[in-house]
Amino acid sequence: MSEKTAVLIIGGGIAGIQASLDLAGRGFQVYLLEETPTIGGRMAQLDKTFPTMDCSICILAPKMMECFRHPNIKLITYSELKEVKGTVGDFHVKIRKKPRYVDETKCTGCASCTEHCPIEVPSEFDMRLGMRKAIYMPMPQAVPRCMTIDRENCIECKLCSKICRAGAVDFSQQPQDIDLNVGAVIVATGFDQYDPSEIVEYGYQRLRNVLTALEFERWVCASGPVGGHLLRPADGGIPKKIAFIQCVGSRGRKFGTPFCSSVCCMYATKEALIIREHAPDVQVYIFYNELRAFGKGFQEFINRARQDYGVNYIRSRPGEIKEDTGKKTLTIWYDDTLTREIKTLADVDLVILCSALLPRSSNRKLAELLGAELDDYGFFRITHPLLAPVDTTVPGIYVCGYCQSPKDIPDSVAQASAAAARAAEALALVQVQRLGGGT
Amino acid sequence: MSEYEPRIVGFLCNWCGYAGADLAGTSRLSYPTNIRIIRVMCSGRVEPAFILNAFENGADGVLVAGCHPGDCHYRSGNQHAEKRIEKTKKLLDLLGIGSERLRLEWVSASEGEKFASVIKDFTEKLRGKGPSPLVKDLQPVPVQHNATESIHDILKRTKALYCQECGKCSSSCPVTRLDPTYSPRLAVEKALMGLEDAVLTDKGLWSCLTCYLCRQRCPLDIEYDELIRTCRAKAEAKGITGQCSHEGVLFSVSRLMASPETKQNRMDWIPPEAEIAKTGKLMYFVGCLPYFNVVFDDIGVRNIEIAQSMLRVMNAAGIKPVVLEEERCCGHDLSFSGDIASFTRLAKINSATIKKSGVTKIVTTCPECFRTLKLDYPEFLGRRKFEVVHASEFLSELIDNGKIKFAGKIDQKVSYQDPCRLGRHMGVYDLPRKVMTSIPGIELVEMERNRQNSLCCGVSAWMGCGRHSKQMQIERLTEAKDTNAGLLVTACPKCQIHLNCALSERLPVEKEKIAIETCDLSVLVARAMNLTLNSTEMNKK
Repeated sequence: MSEKTAVLIIGGGIAGIQASLDLAGRGFQVYLLEETPTIGGRMAQLDKTFPTMDCSICILAPKMMECFRHPNIKLITYSELKEVKGTVGDFHVKIRKKPRYVDETKCTGCASCTEHCPIEVPSEFDMRLGMRKAIYMPMPQAVPRCMTIDRENCIECKLCSKICRAGAVDFSQQPQDIDLNVGAVIVATGFDQYDPSEIVEYGYQRLRNVLTALEFERWVCASGPVGGHLLRPADGGIPKKIAFIQCVGSRGRKFGTPFCSSVCCMYATKEALIIREHAPDVQVYIFYNELRAFGKGFQEFINRARQDYGVNYIRSRPGEIKEDTGKKTLTIWYDDTLTREIKTLADVDLVILCSALLPRSSNRKLAELLGAELDDYGFFRITHPLLAPVDTTVPGIYVCGYCQSPKDIPDSVAQASAAAARAAEALALVQVQRLGGGT
Repeated sequence: MSEYEPRIVGFLCNWCGYAGADLAGTSRLSYPTNIRIIRVMCSGRVEPAFILNAFENGADGVLVAGCHPGDCHYRSGNQHAEKRIEKTKKLLDLLGIGSERLRLEWVSASEGEKFASVIKDFTEKLRGKGPSPLVKDLQPVPVQHNATESIHDILKRTKALYCQECGKCSSSCPVTRLDPTYSPRLAVEKALMGLEDAVLTDKGLWSCLTCYLCRQRCPLDIEYDELIRTCRAKAEAKGITGQCSHEGVLFSVSRLMASPETKQNRMDWIPPEAEIAKTGKLMYFVGCLPYFNVVFDDIGVRNIEIAQSMLRVMNAAGIKPVVLEEERCCGHDLSFSGDIASFTRLAKINSATIKKSGVTKIVTTCPECFRTLKLDYPEFLGRRKFEVVHASEFLSELIDNGKIKFAGKIDQKVSYQDPCRLGRHMGVYDLPRKVMTSIPGIELVEMERNRQNSLCCGVSAWMGCGRHSKQMQIERLTEAKDTNAGLLVTACPKCQIHLNCALSERLPVEKEKIAIETCDLSVLVARAMNLTLNSTEMNKK
């Protein structure tokens, strides 16, 4: 297959993975670009999914492996986009592959180097709650299964090099430039989580028992920093009372962002269920504004949480979280807007802030490289909000997943397939034209 | 002048003064008809506010008559009266009305003749002095955001239409926590339902401290303080007013200053060696400190030290600031209590005075003056040509420029009370802290609630000081005490007044749990520069 019928997909999360598999399955050459050392994206960080309560990595990992194995997909991980030129059917792309200092073709991912590495730093994959080594794989299911040396923190003791039986460690690696010629591009960069520390009354980063929801996903995950035990972050105590606060930084006008992140009502419910399954004696409270359960099976999911799992829903945005004096537990001040009473919820062991999910801040730079436009919030602008949901303002460049608009996993997957179909359509047109045909 | 007849308001005690007047009448003694008599149960009931109010309403003189010392029917009412009259006389002198227009007399029930002669004498004296300098009928002034703005327009302007009724405001509000009958959320809800009367007649309208905590936390950025301010103006236009603390004496002081003819005598506080200028680039806007110093004399706060310290620091830094006798109250409290007309009058007079002096930069030691001059004057009068900085910013600049030389170490742990006007209203959190910590030896320890989360001192704009205010003050002082600091620094004269007021009262809390010395930021800096005040000279004032 000619290079001109190849596609570049930016972002190796679930949307990028789905678009890659769709296009590769149709016979197109796919280059899947990912900036971190592994594909998998946000979905890989989640413990479970709503409303099916599937183990997230369990349903994602086979797709990641499929990408790795597929003859038509080339993974370009730990790399960044440098330049894009040309038009639909003929984009010239420059990519800079960062040195891993480990040979991808030799490394078996046995991890003996990791065991011996003396340097520990906070793990980005575990939302900095757990530690990783200076030579590391972000997660056990990483694809490609290859170590990466973080040279910023590496002390160059070269123990890893001595231990590696495959002889994969290579400190002499240099950045590598890759030139590609592709016919279409799909953008699937996903989201960043809003840092709620500016909402000072919730004490994020001041109070250790306050976590964001994404942090909690790692915290409670069996492959996470504490092995999936439900513990109080500050002292490892056993929690008895856990509260979620919705709309932290979303649906606002001062902090964060005005839009609704669309998934928090559901994932909070999911996390509440996870908690009740882990420890049925833990009381769970969800402080919500409106319950936005619009998807298939969503309202039933919430009903189940209320009926069968005894999750308490309170309509309120709490005013303040206060640490109880002399204890690590927290007190939440809130206005129960349905009973119109100002109340406190005391002795809360863990507060989870359902922090707004924002389009990635790096979209700005990416859009500049692509010549595409962003909207006011940083989502990729589409040419028609109703009738062209995946077409960016540049012909031949398509968008899917959260970087297009807030959405959950099933919607991201559906949209990835749509973007793949649109890219295939553009490439088919190019092929027809090349054969001398017309439209 | 020949047709001028002084108008005298007489507050006569039921048992002596009034009975004396009665005797004068039944004895058919003749005395001038210039007096209008108001009977009170005791001369001790006569608040300074009553007297100022009489002057506001056109009196040329006020007579208070009570029982002779030792004869009070309530043991010591007349002794209280004596103290209050003394205080009020000081205020009248400051306001340029003149203390001789106020007279306290002991007239017993049997002294009909004395009563008649007192009236004769007082009337003659007042005739000699001429009418009160106050303009009696002030012309109405056009005001911004006036009472004609509809509730819907107010909601729109203050962004309250965005309200999601999430209750973050009400669960943050320090008043709602103590008094659940008041809630910012429910107030907005009522307004959103269009229940204008319910909003304006709700006593909660006057409970709000406009401390900005709810606005700080509101995810929708609803300008609740502004909503309250405008609704209060609307309520006042309908004749609904709130409960003013100290019977409104400080509102009277402000309103009396809003009269264009008022000629104050407010410069006595300036130490003899201090240097000030009439014109120049930099002005020190003193605010109401000379008045506070009189009114709050009895709770152990010497507010005027703030002004004296600031002036000494400025002089030591080689600055001779403009300080003007014509300066008036900035109008903050009036604007936040619904009297937008008087506020606008004050703003206009001050703006003209500032313009005439050629000042380009104004330093204030009061965060309310800071907010009002910086935010409200431009909003109500259009863009101003002067820059306004609070003392903390000014002192911090002086420290940066090496103009301040600290004399030595002050080994002390201090804590800091963020004033709501300086902190949440104006976003100044770091500068006062920077000033404090640049003093050698000072260690700053934060209270549990600090910066954006800081707790208000309990009262604002002299509205409704009550049980909840005291409770908040106890909470705040307990927090301060818990830091183990030896000194609580404030950057607002009113925070200092309110916290000290709590300390001077009998409250349901053990004294040692709340007792902490308070000090203004400027005073602390002057102390650290060894510009200590001469106490004998101070006491004369």
